[in-house]
Amino acid sequence: MKYYKLSIILYILCILFSNCSQEPPTLTFAIGGAPSEVEYWEILIKKFKEKSNISVKILRQPTDTDQRRQGLVIPLKAKKKDPDVFLMDVIWVGQFAASDWLQPLAHYINKDTLNVDVFFQSIIEQVDMYNKKLVALPVYIDCGLLYYRKDLLEKYGCVIPETWDDLIHCAQIIQKHEKKENPQFRGFVWQGAQYEGLICTFLEFAVSHRGGIVDKNGNIVINCKENIEALELMKNMIHSYKISPPNTFTEMKEEEVRLFFDAGNALFERNWPYAWSLHEREDSPVQGKIAITLLPKTADGKNAAALGGWHIGISKYSDNKDNAWELVKFIIAYETQKELTLNLGWNPGRSDIYDDSEIKENVPHIAVLKKAFEYTAARPNLPYYTQLSEILQRHINACLSGKLSAHKALFQSQKEIERIVDIYHVSNQ
Amino acid sequence: MKVNREFKEALLFVAPLVIFISFFILLPICGTFWTSLWQDVAFISKKFIGLENYVRLLSDRHFWQSTYFTLLFPLISVSLEMFFGMIFALVLNETFRFRGILRGISLIPWAIPSIVGARIWQLIYRYDYGLANLFLKMFGIQSINWLGSPVGAFSALVLADVWRTTPFVAIILLAGLQTVPNDIYDQAQVDGSNFVQRFFKITLPLIKPIVIIALLFRTIDAIRVFDLIYVITEGGPGGVTTSLSLYGYKFFLLGDFGYGSTVSVILFLISFIIALTYIKVGRIRTSIL
Amino acid sequence: MKEDTGKKILFALGVLFILVFCLVPFIWMLIISFNERADFIVNIGSQLTTKNYIDILRLDNLHFLDYLRNSIIIAGAAALLSGFIGALAAYAVSRISFPGKILLVFAVLSMSMFPQISIVGYLYKFMAALGWINTYQALILPYVSWSLPLALWIMMSYFSQIPYELDKAAQIDGASKLQTLTKIIFPITLPGFLSTILLLLMFAFNEFLFALMLTIDYRTRTVPVGIALFQGLHGELPWGYIMAAAVISCIPVIAIALVFQKHIIQGLTRGAVKQ
Repeated sequence: MKYYKLSIILYILCILFSNCSQEPPTLTFAIGGAPSEVEYWEILIKKFKEKSNISVKILRQPTDTDQRRQGLVIPLKAKKKDPDVFLMDVIWVGQFAASDWLQPLAHYINKDTLNVDVFFQSIIEQVDMYNKKLVALPVYIDCGLLYYRKDLLEKYGCVIPETWDDLIHCAQIIQKHEKKENPQFRGFVWQGAQYEGLICTFLEFAVSHRGGIVDKNGNIVINCKENIEALELMKNMIHSYKISPPNTFTEMKEEEVRLFFDAGNALFERNWPYAWSLHEREDSPVQGKIAITLLPKTADGKNAAALGGWHIGISKYSDNKDNAWELVKFIIAYETQKELTLNLGWNPGRSDIYDDSEIKENVPHIAVLKKAFEYTAARPNLPYYTQLSEILQRHINACLSGKLSAHKALFQSQKEIERIVDIYHVSNQ
Repeated sequence: MKVNREFKEALLFVAPLVIFISFFILLPICGTFWTSLWQDVAFISKKFIGLENYVRLLSDRHFWQSTYFTLLFPLISVSLEMFFGMIFALVLNETFRFRGILRGISLIPWAIPSIVGARIWQLIYRYDYGLANLFLKMFGIQSINWLGSPVGAFSALVLADVWRTTPFVAIILLAGLQTVPNDIYDQAQVDGSNFVQRFFKITLPLIKPIVIIALLFRTIDAIRVFDLIYVITEGGPGGVTTSLSLYGYKFFLLGDFGYGSTVSVILFLISFIIALTYIKVGRIRTSIL
Repeated sequence: MKEDTGKKILFALGVLFILVFCLVPFIWMLIISFNERADFIVNIGSQLTTKNYIDILRLDNLHFLDYLRNSIIIAGAAALLSGFIGALAAYAVSRISFPGKILLVFAVLSMSMFPQISIVGYLYKFMAALGWINTYQALILPYVSWSLPLALWIMMSYFSQIPYELDKAAQIDGASKLQTLTKIIFPITLPGFLSTILLLLMFAFNEFLFALMLTIDYRTRTVPVGIALFQGLHGELPWGYIMAAAVISCIPVIAIALVFQKHIIQGLTRGAVKQ
């Protein structure tokens, strides 16, 4: 009985050390996303092992993007050897590169005389180059598209909208008629909830008005005439034209938007390419009735499609960089990228795959995608981007809810963001 | 000699408790205080900056907004919880056939995980097919985007919180009611006062100490509200329903541990001051020992 | 007599109010969980189904059973550890007089008033440094510490009800303090101890913020985090699954609440009321 307490302590020690079993020195590859995606990666990794005899341990990450970033930041900040290779959301590349966590890839590319021109050059420049060094490569790219109902446009004699005015005009007419039969019907649905997707939508509206987040000189300019107009337009779509549903700014994220359109309740939809195959599935009410095109612009503006996707990089602290490069090379290889496209519906970062005949046959809408990828607008590649985004999301969302005017929302964002830049940027020097 | 031995024994008995609490509560608390004095951001090298994070709070509008929310939320929701909790307790204190079952049922909202409760209410408030709007539709009223306006989102959170924690308040108050001897009422009934008067004149003063304990528990708990907001509004619309807990969490998630810790320290101090105030004003004495 | 009728009506209304208030949201959850689609009222054609339940129990990639297993292990271990440690300390506090006792009790009780957020940030760094993120101990140890004030408080009130003579008698027979506790006192307070454990179990089972920060995937993720982050591939909310998972995870807690209603109420109020 005397040893009662001791046994408790022993018990605790047992739990503590039970997890410390030794792992053989293999590559660690951090990958997240939906379970089905991770399972497919397991298959790919097995193939890699057969081919190269390098064993890879998959480090499963959460589905939630913020938590995924956190899961990488902690070991990297602690200069841990694992993970060796990981996937990064486009918006993290700047933060990771600024922290000097990414191994520059030029040396390996030259060694293997790999041709980097096969990737979309605009994306490489906007995302993967940091301080003129190549630090990552695109594995999966994504951009905003306009989905529309061909059948409804035809029925009411409307043309595919090229400008926002066309879109509003067309949406108002069709909504008025369709609402009689379907009271839920709305002209245009898009992502307006307070989350990262809102920044993508805003960026598209802003750039199509010739605005944006960063100006030519690399300064952050949020509060400008063009952006105010763009935000005003977003707000008006909900509150004055009423072509977007009132819950746009509370509930509308990708899937809410997709499901709304999918149920046949909307004429236009702003969404990512993934929605295509879901809208086109057999039992979808809109199957065969839809098409995609570039998002509209203003009369004198330019087309814009927010850039998303995942990029691969090697940790600077990896103790196994040569093998890590082998893995990267395997993942960005033509064959692997093609398989990812066919099996997971990922849009490859290599532009040559878009011309592959088998791909064209299986993924017919990929031609529009290729065109859209020429108009991508990237979110700023800054180490403190996430902080900036949080501020912008909050203010834009407040404006959409009617609490702030567009001018005030952007004015306040600008002020708060300048403070963030002060705090995080200056001290980084 | 004996005192010494007893002391040693006592030490052994409380040692595990002290060790656990020191390592996993006290140490982290001190660590949070310490971290709040640093610039500890994921992508910047760590730097000691003294009180600079606290200076940053002063001009951080969203921080003030969150503080305002964090103080207003308990004020409204705890008041309502005390009101409904008292009704629950009075009903459950009566003697009737299915009392045990009704007491069990009234425990349900409190017993289930708070996240489950939050998910249920999130679905109730949904614009297009939520229960609340279906209810309105039955009376021919137009659907409301409950979570779309600052007042709507705030009330939605209050209602969800009241639902979840009223049972807890009721249990505590019930325990108080059970200590009131019945013959006091008999006496009063003879005097001719009705049951409402009796409640305010006799019952309430008698159970005042326990009312204050319930108030203390609930206020402290409502000040650190996180789960409900995380699920139902995510702090929106436009950030107006962000509590300090959520605000701090956001900074941890963004990788700014220094500033996140600073926000947490402020929340810690607020709870501390409120708890002290209750204990002083309510004269809570420890009869436990 | 008039007053009696008025009171009866009010009482009946009160009962009705409690039933509606507590049960309507809950029943709504049940209804959704048995429907094909969450929007079944606006979209006709949705049918009653048990598919949601079958799916979350069968489909491995939803990981619900993993979450449930993790929750049970973590909450169980935390509740038992915390119960025993709390009982040990409570016994010392109620039986032995030692300097600093009152201070200790006050300090421990005030710990329960700390906001979780003020410790979770550092805890995260602490666990990350040890490489313990996404392990069971990363949750069990903080849960034990976090629930100890509650355990101490309730057990103290139970021990203080047991006459001191029992201890004296045992000690005259030559038993040590520990033997007195385990052989004599503990068996008497066993019902009280069990209701304490039940409360601690519910406490640990329902905890969210620590679990959110300190776990990464299905290997350690608990039910509340699983339910909060249940998402489809592109962030859709599979309401049917969420509600089915919610119902299943509520069953044990509700069963405990209904069956042990008396013990729970007793446990909760023991400390609050000095009888």
